[in-house]
Amino acid sequence: MATPAALFLADGSRFDGHGLGYHGIALGEAVFYTGMTGYEEAMTDPSYAGQILTFTYPLIGNYGISGSAAQYARACVAGAVIKQISYHPSHHLSQKTLPEWLDEQRIPTLVGADTRAITIALREHGTIWAALAVGDEALERAERTLTDFVRTATTDGLVAGVATPAPYLEGPPGGPRITLVDCGVKRAILRDLTALGAQVTVQPYDASPEMLLANDPAAIVISPGPGDPTDLPQTIATLRTLVGRVPLFGVCLGHQLLALALGAATFKLPYGHRGGNQPVKDLLRNEVLVTAHNHGYAVDAATLGGDLVPTMTNLNDGTNEGFCHRSLPIAAVQFHPEASPGPSDARHLFAQWFASAGIPVAPLTPAP
Amino acid sequence: MARRNIMVIGSGPIVIGQAAEFDYAGVQACRALREEGHRVVLVNSNPATIMTDPDVADAVYLEPLTVRSVEQIIERERPDALLPTLGGQTGLNLAVELGRAGVLERYNVELLGTPIDTIELAEDRERFKEKMIEIGEPVAQSAIVTNIDEGLAFALEIGYPLVVRPAYTLGGTGGGVVYTEEELRERLDAGLNASLIHQVLLEVSLLGWKEIEYEVLRDSANNCIIVCNMENIDPVGVHTGDSIVVAPSQTLSDVEYQMLRTSSLNVIRALNVQGGCNIQFALHPDRSEYAIIEVNPRVSRSSALASKATGYPIAKISTRIALGQTLDTIPNPVTGVTTAAYEPTLDYVVVKIPRWPFDKFPLADTQLGTQMKSTGEAMGIGRTFRAAMLKALRGLDLKRDTLTEAGFEAWSASELEAIVVRPTHDRLFAVCELLRRATREGDSDGAVAACIAHVHELCDIDAFWLYEFASLVALEERLRAGASDADIDEAFVCGYSAQAIERLCRDAGAVAARRTGGAFRMVDTAAAEFPARSPYYYLSRGESDEMRATPDRAVVVVGSGPIRIGQGIEFDYSCVHAAWALKNAGFSPVVVNNNPETVSTDFDVSDALVFEPPGADEVEDAYRATDALGVMLAFGGQTAINLAGELSRRGVRIVGSDRASVDMAEDREQFDAALQRLGVARPEGKAARSFREARAHARELGFPVLVRPSFVLGGRGMEIVYNEGQLASYAESAPPILPDAPLLVDKYLRGLEVEVDAVFDGEDILIPGIFEHIERAGIHSGDSISVYPTQTVDAAMEERIVRVTTAIAKELRIRGLINIQFVIHEGQLYIIEANPRASRTVPIIQKATGVNLVAAATRIALGEKLRDMPYGTGLHPRTPYVVVKVPVFSFSKMRGVETVLGPEMKSTGEVLGIDDSFAGALRKGFIGAGIRLPGTGGRILVSIADEEKHAAVPVLRRYADLGHTLVATAGTRDVLEAAGIASEAINKIADGSPHVLELIHQRKVDLVINDALGQRELTDNYRIRRAAVEAGIACLTSLDTAKALVTALETVPGAPRSLQEYRNGALSTGDVHG
Repeated sequence: MATPAALFLADGSRFDGHGLGYHGIALGEAVFYTGMTGYEEAMTDPSYAGQILTFTYPLIGNYGISGSAAQYARACVAGAVIKQISYHPSHHLSQKTLPEWLDEQRIPTLVGADTRAITIALREHGTIWAALAVGDEALERAERTLTDFVRTATTDGLVAGVATPAPYLEGPPGGPRITLVDCGVKRAILRDLTALGAQVTVQPYDASPEMLLANDPAAIVISPGPGDPTDLPQTIATLRTLVGRVPLFGVCLGHQLLALALGAATFKLPYGHRGGNQPVKDLLRNEVLVTAHNHGYAVDAATLGGDLVPTMTNLNDGTNEGFCHRSLPIAAVQFHPEASPGPSDARHLFAQWFASAGIPVAPLTPAP
Repeated sequence: MARRNIMVIGSGPIVIGQAAEFDYAGVQACRALREEGHRVVLVNSNPATIMTDPDVADAVYLEPLTVRSVEQIIERERPDALLPTLGGQTGLNLAVELGRAGVLERYNVELLGTPIDTIELAEDRERFKEKMIEIGEPVAQSAIVTNIDEGLAFALEIGYPLVVRPAYTLGGTGGGVVYTEEELRERLDAGLNASLIHQVLLEVSLLGWKEIEYEVLRDSANNCIIVCNMENIDPVGVHTGDSIVVAPSQTLSDVEYQMLRTSSLNVIRALNVQGGCNIQFALHPDRSEYAIIEVNPRVSRSSALASKATGYPIAKISTRIALGQTLDTIPNPVTGVTTAAYEPTLDYVVVKIPRWPFDKFPLADTQLGTQMKSTGEAMGIGRTFRAAMLKALRGLDLKRDTLTEAGFEAWSASELEAIVVRPTHDRLFAVCELLRRATREGDSDGAVAACIAHVHELCDIDAFWLYEFASLVALEERLRAGASDADIDEAFVCGYSAQAIERLCRDAGAVAARRTGGAFRMVDTAAAEFPARSPYYYLSRGESDEMRATPDRAVVVVGSGPIRIGQGIEFDYSCVHAAWALKNAGFSPVVVNNNPETVSTDFDVSDALVFEPPGADEVEDAYRATDALGVMLAFGGQTAINLAGELSRRGVRIVGSDRASVDMAEDREQFDAALQRLGVARPEGKAARSFREARAHARELGFPVLVRPSFVLGGRGMEIVYNEGQLASYAESAPPILPDAPLLVDKYLRGLEVEVDAVFDGEDILIPGIFEHIERAGIHSGDSISVYPTQTVDAAMEERIVRVTTAIAKELRIRGLINIQFVIHEGQLYIIEANPRASRTVPIIQKATGVNLVAAATRIALGEKLRDMPYGTGLHPRTPYVVVKVPVFSFSKMRGVETVLGPEMKSTGEVLGIDDSFAGALRKGFIGAGIRLPGTGGRILVSIADEEKHAAVPVLRRYADLGHTLVATAGTRDVLEAAGIASEAINKIADGSPHVLELIHQRKVDLVINDALGQRELTDNYRIRRAAVEAGIACLTSLDTAKALVTALETVPGAPRSLQEYRNGALSTGDVHG
């Protein structure tokens, strides 16, 4: 007999199916991911910390879990919602099945639910607090638990949960030194930066300006991460002190933090962008890039005044996707040039940024 | 942009490898061009297309697609530009030839979209390979060869198996996988001949690799998007047109998906494609290594599939790109708010299964390889692969609606495995039978897992698919073994029909109790991320519903499903016109159909498109979900009309002619009684409920007789038998006689065949015109050359035809369309059959006369009267010009098939010739049909059946008089000599070299006339006919056709004119610009 399970949204709606993974309750924001591939990368992406992720694509787990696609040491999602999960994956890199991995990672998972109905509910209501309950006992207390949770729920603390507590080095010495502010970095970013020949010093998100400048980096990159950028006032203040002292580049949450440090504002998107098909117009090169997204907040383009110039814009909803500084080597994008999962149209960006700051780079090789 | 005069070239007749998808693409292109304010000049010889309607383009030329004919049109119309990439390989090749012949330059015609150099680069295997190597994209090791010796040398170096791919051909004609030197020689000969540039690529076999396709768009500003990727369940080795294809890919990791996506963008950029492009990859299953198989820099069958799979209109956007627009400035037609620079993401699975013509051709070679053999396809959309798969399977309309009832139960394991290894169209069922046995074997999963491993070992089909099949097979077994409610629910969710579930679990009550109404989901390109405007739906049982009902205004139009011989694009034409007529009359058309190639499944055509198999469950669900006024069955061919009984039982309201009319027309006894009441003669005949009874009837009537099963289309199973022996062998090969569908046995009358399409409203009739067939009765109407207006029927007989048609329509209580076939024998009018529905000739008569028969029928079904419409009543006046429909066959793609024509239909398409004179129209028709006419001094191989020899003399004399040389074997030669006609002698096969077959192989003849009355396969004549097909030499199998051809050869047709000019009676050849 299958284990009963359900997703409860804070507006009172409920979606039933059967359960897998950890028997219990996951609490978090309900969001959806529209990519048709890349479930392993998505579920290990630290930016999904604290979120219950619905896959809009109905067949998940078809090529198993490889380990090599993981973006973090463990699963980062709070819970997962899947239409049909594969017990018989087929791929030469598959190490285990997705159900096995979800068990091992203790991720409460709802299977067989009407994921399209959930997606439409999230689109119409906007991102919402939710509980995912697996098992009879969990189902019984899910609604009460959700009500309690909603009273105090916050995204604060999500970055601390996934960022490195202590600095570490990535990549061999000899190349340009890059410092990365880790708010929840994906492996693919470190892969792409080191592939350019850089040695990356990964610093905690709350590192002081002195720590960040300690080894005289050629540039500082601010990583993506989960949650609301305004939850990180200290990081924003730190970045503000660095302006004009070192080239600064931001990705996703890093883009939002840089914008806030430079005086712009951010706002919460109704239901976020999460997927691999977001068309972004590069305003400088006048071309369209299809990009990977994972964010619930955006930079308010109207507040990008003064020295900040919008460089990229989203063709779907017109939100800001990138900016640069008129005179300083500062640039950021809202999307993920490193893809993983998603298309590689923007993989040239890191090299382009480095070149613009006079940092020597090795030629880019295709993603492994 | 200034208004320009733009020419669009269509793809010509439907043949295997080129079907309705180019009508869909062409219609979108013409619309997009006109939306931008341009004048469109369209050339296409195929009259059954929507694109050749005078409403679609400003000037429609139903003229042959040859350089000569198109040059004449260019000379008259002086187009500013030509859009060549929407007309398939035919349109593309023609554009290349026009360029080479200097025509485009001479008339200063700009080529829009993808440059001609790109087209040539993609088609020229050697240059393409060099280009790929230059940009670092992997291709399989290969050699370009232009003769057999070069090919053998490469094989010696590389070894077998090798893949043979001729350059510039359609659907892989002449290609294939070869395992031996003998096979290589044979294929090279065929392939070199099939290639426009006499060039073949020999390639290392990537057999067993995954075959993956990407549909890519690029604009002139270098923006690129992927519309869709697709994975073939059949690994490399089976042509993608013959493969079961799934969108999106299911077994590729994100890394692999993106690797091939990036490669696609590299390729399309390097080739400078501007518009749509299809790229095929082979992906190694065990090491993520890939090779590019080929690139098609144009819209294709795959792009039609990708458009329907995602909702993204590739042809429309490609056209706008060709006009210089960029993706980020073109509005997204699906969401209405975003732009065309958008990669669709799916939240469902799409499966396409090909429809092969093997059910009609028992002798055909059913082995699948690199040469496409299917005529059409059905697509299924479901929230899971299983549901999509079952819907596609059911949608083939092959009476196979499960995976384990295909008649393989008695086969041995080794017989099944033989099909698994060297695939035929039945491979899926052979695999499932093996899985069924493993499922039965034990209760552990071990047996199934072992079976899957074994099957994978045999054929390289990915285990993912095999596990999916196994889960369906297991479900079918559970249903058989006493189904639980949960099993029945699961079966509905997995896409099984109520009928199939009932049959499996033999518990109709339980199934009926579990059947719930369908939930409709939207195809929105965005996985629900954005609200969509496009009214494009599929069914998903057990989920929530998104259908926007239009109470009291909706009318369901039931489509005709996949294209097959006998039920082609003509029915889609009628469905589209019915939808348009409903819109014009203020109703909301709801189309139910599952053919991804067609115009009817373009969501622009209807107010709601339900992309589902046109079966009773789906039609009922669509009817109830939209609160429809009724269902129209008259336009979707036999597929739709066959639903009349079941839908009536379910209380679904049928508008137009109802079930009673259908039964009366199809039930032999009821029909005979009706005719008797009216005093109308028909060839004497009787219904037989057994073959023994059939023999008794035949003896009584006297041979020859025509035998056929009832309730079929396209003459399936129909044959003329001349004696008891032939009747006995018919009984052996024919399907069993079912209790509710007896075998019909008729006296065969070899007279003049005449065909009528009419509409009747209960009081008045409207007959736009009467067709006369060139070949005497006995050849299926779809395979005969037919002429409008009639050439040999006198006014009194026409009057009688009108009277009889009216009486029958009244008697059958027709409300809408009726099609009647007559034969005139010794001055008497006999009726052969009447069908209460649209026929294959509806688009042609509609095009020829301008009478919108379908609109009239639609409005009658809704209660209007003809006298309140602008179409008139009675027999429409004859046109001053003549149209001739010439059938087109795909025999070169159907190895082994007998080419002699008979009562069972064999043609896949047709062309139209229009001219002021009958002979001129004939000539254009023959040219359009691709028959290479010998000039003077041609050599014609003649062999004539004894019964026909004397009738043949005057016809053959006319060929000789035109300066042709007749070549004949002894018997025919004697007859010619006696008549004083000179001829060359050639040996029969048995008499040794040099004999007839050699003559054909060496292509030393230009035409073969091989009249073979009543003959069957496996004779010398059969070998002669097949040899002619393989050699690409026209072979006429009826003296009537030969007579028509010589008539055509004796005349010079008039210059091309547009359909609009013919209609307006404009004879001026002066300035035609608006």
